[in-house]
Amino acid sequence: MTAALLGFAAIFLLALMRFPLAFAMGGVGIVGIGLVRGWQPALASTAQVVYDTGFAYTLSVIPLFILMGNFVARAGLAHELFQAANAFVGHLRGGLAHATVAACAGFGAICGSSIATAATMSKVAYPSMKKMGYSDALSTGVMAAGGTLGIMIPPSTIMVIYGITTETNIGKLFAAGVIPGLLTAALLMVAIAVMTARDPEHAPPGERTSWPGRWKALRGIWGVALLVVVVLGGIYGGLFTATEGAGFGAAGAFLFALARGRLTWAVLLQVLVESARTTAMLFALLIAATIFANFINFTSMPGDLKDWITGMGLSPILIVAAMMLIYVVLGTVMEELTMVLLTIPLFFPIVTALGFDPVWFGVLIVMVVQIGLISPPVGMNLFVINGLLPGVGLNAIFRGCWPFVLVLVGVLGLLLVFPQLSLWLPGLMR
Amino acid sequence: MKKYLEWFCGLLAGIALFCIMALTFFDVLSRKLLSQSITGSLELTELLMVVVIFASLPLVTLRSEHVVFDSLDNYLPQTLTRLQRPLVQWLCAAAMLGLAVLMWQLGTQFVANGETTAQLKISKAPFIYLMAVLCAVCAAAHLMLATVKIDVAVQPEAEGGAL
Repeated sequence: MTAALLGFAAIFLLALMRFPLAFAMGGVGIVGIGLVRGWQPALASTAQVVYDTGFAYTLSVIPLFILMGNFVARAGLAHELFQAANAFVGHLRGGLAHATVAACAGFGAICGSSIATAATMSKVAYPSMKKMGYSDALSTGVMAAGGTLGIMIPPSTIMVIYGITTETNIGKLFAAGVIPGLLTAALLMVAIAVMTARDPEHAPPGERTSWPGRWKALRGIWGVALLVVVVLGGIYGGLFTATEGAGFGAAGAFLFALARGRLTWAVLLQVLVESARTTAMLFALLIAATIFANFINFTSMPGDLKDWITGMGLSPILIVAAMMLIYVVLGTVMEELTMVLLTIPLFFPIVTALGFDPVWFGVLIVMVVQIGLISPPVGMNLFVINGLLPGVGLNAIFRGCWPFVLVLVGVLGLLLVFPQLSLWLPGLMR
Repeated sequence: MKKYLEWFCGLLAGIALFCIMALTFFDVLSRKLLSQSITGSLELTELLMVVVIFASLPLVTLRSEHVVFDSLDNYLPQTLTRLQRPLVQWLCAAAMLGLAVLMWQLGTQFVANGETTAQLKISKAPFIYLMAVLCAVCAAAHLMLATVKIDVAVQPEAEGGAL
């Protein structure tokens, strides 16, 4: 127990000294195993982890989904998505805000990243909202919160990472995210409706689009809609494994971008290298987290913690609720990916020992990551939007995101109380 | 120097990633349509994954895209950060160099065992040596950051596809 606690303390100390977290986790893991088990096993197991993670066919799902998202983003699809969504809901009060959420949900079905979704949509949606007189707080809050749909609606990088580290079926995790993702989108829209009712001046309705106009707007997105149906439907229906679906999706997105004339050699190489870099950054963290988890599993901490918590006689759901509370609080100040990778070796055994479904817990994890990404003071989505819109102060963004943080916390509560929201769809899979 | 390194590593990783994509696509197509998979496509993907990951690692370093906890940056005195940054880079370089040595030793073991992939009988050792070499390149990249002043543009999308 003491060894593991010292390990966690060391990581936080190194992180505060601005060590890259991959190096902090990996280094502490190696030294920890070295002290607990001996240096020879520490070095040998490190080489083994690096080898196993490098030569892993199933892990190619990560770069392939990232590549798919980047190709589609580069194909300039975000604009069409926003236009199509606007054609349907633009005439409502706060119509552009509703359209932003809907477009984010659509983009989330191709892209597995919250940050990329928020970044892409803010370039498209912000200028329109600014022109219509929306307040900066509302428009940036909507884009930040809508962006988080990118990781709940499949595909989702964080789900893949959770699936790999806990050996949970990625296809089932993807299926489990669909209903919570749509529910989140719907509740975000309800929140927008309530907020704009109180302050209608800052969210004027747009012109109503005629039905022929709506069909025309939909025509711009059918190619990608087809791609989503084939890839996600294929994974869901058991036609593809997640890895195969990702490869198929990436190739389809490549052809899509090619057909739209958006790919020059330079752009192609840029997309490939960008995706490779993100992959390498993730794998560095993944390798380091595995080494650290190996160390933690050599100590008595996971067992002690499990015995202590299950021995308290609390109701299981309260224990999970307490974990979620810890996550939401940690998420305000921590980088979310590290938070998940560091805590999974401790929390996951407890959750499975209590008899909960790992798929359900995975959806909860994604939800707390969503919350963490938009909760000040440290929320990546907020920083990304701030970086892309230099004219908008961080103050306005912080002010705008709070109502949506509350909405997401509400969704988290719903997912906690009604596991069926997450588990019904994957339950239908073979 | 930095330019050549970025160009070389980028090309290597980019081509490997494109090959993985094409390989998976045609493998799935031929399996579904002709019920016959491409021989050795799985193990080729594995070998290519090594190239993708380890060739782009130096690029992640050069662009300072590793995840760091930087919330304290505005509160720390500048003299401290001026000392701390090179120190962190030196230690990271040492760690990557250590990993390079470790992987080189593993590669030597693989040569001794003559281990190959299952279907195509491709020797794995060269790829493990490649891992070691690219880890050493990554160590060099950290040293470049420690000694040379390289402007690292702050990129809001640095973590683009990660979360």
